Amino acid sequence: MKDNKRKIIIGGIVLVTLMAVLGIVYFRNRTVPQSGSKNIVIEVTGSNSVTEEYQLSTEAAYLRLAMDELVDQDSGFSYDGTDGEYGIMIEYINGERASYAEDNAYWALYVNGEYGQNGCDTQPVTDGDVYAWKYEKAQ
Amino acid sequence: MSKNKPYISIRDIAQIGMMIAIIEACKFALSGIPNVELTSFWLIMFTLFFGWKIVVVVPAFILIEGAVYGMNLWWFMYLYAWPLLVGITWIFRKVDSALFWAIVSGVFGLSFGALCAIPYFIIGKSTGGMSVGVQSAFAWWVTGIPWDFVHCAGNFILMFVLYRPIKYAFQRMCDGY
Repeated sequence: MKDNKRKIIIGGIVLVTLMAVLGIVYFRNRTVPQSGSKNIVIEVTGSNSVTEEYQLSTEAAYLRLAMDELVDQDSGFSYDGTDGEYGIMIEYINGERASYAEDNAYWALYVNGEYGQNGCDTQPVTDGDVYAWKYEKAQ
Repeated sequence: MSKNKPYISIRDIAQIGMMIAIIEACKFALSGIPNVELTSFWLIMFTLFFGWKIVVVVPAFILIEGAVYGMNLWWFMYLYAWPLLVGITWIFRKVDSALFWAIVSGVFGLSFGALCAIPYFIIGKSTGGMSVGVQSAFAWWVTGIPWDFVHCAGNFILMFVLYRPIKYAFQRMCDGY
């Protein structure tokens, strides 16, 4: 009985500590969207290494909403994927499919040349940013 | 034990089938509520009450999940996340406390995002080296932290509320044999 109590107390301390650590990590590293109008560039580099560039003026807070606007503008840009608990898993961009299961390929998102820290549902849109989708293969 | 007695009896097979069916049915029923699940609850309870049979239940459950929903990236996370929960439960199997198991289930829910970030580290590392691997896994983990809290709360409450009644039901069932 005493041993049970000890385990409960230790478990409780672990739980509370873990909650505190996760809370701190989240609030220090979360990305906050910018409000108002923003001019951004969306680039797509397919498996043939050809890059297409799309300029967009948008008020969208997150990249996926901006991408939806780009699709609605008949710009030639298109995308598709599978929605999951944590957002969309992009499979098609401009009609080209990247399948990790079949050929180890995926669409990687770069923000201003840096490897993206978010999915497109949670990637905040900031004025002047360049969002680059690149077809990549895992080695 | 008789020479002709099988290692797994028909009753064992039936129980294993029932356990998998219960997990799958609950998973499907709760699929509309993100990160609220009874899989953790049932795996803990089955490990506590049915012992070694969980060694068959977990791989069968993982294979069924892969067959039904496709063996995508999340499926590879199942290969180590659920066995880890069963292993932890086995270590503390002598503890009989709803609060303790609610804490264990809550900690598991809170850690689930970090556990699931491991494949993103491997993919990132394979494409751009160690730093890209760490960045990918960290970004994926941080984005999902609010959902880890939901997972933690759901696991904690479900275990705390259901532990006693299900334990009572299992004990009655076992007494009937």
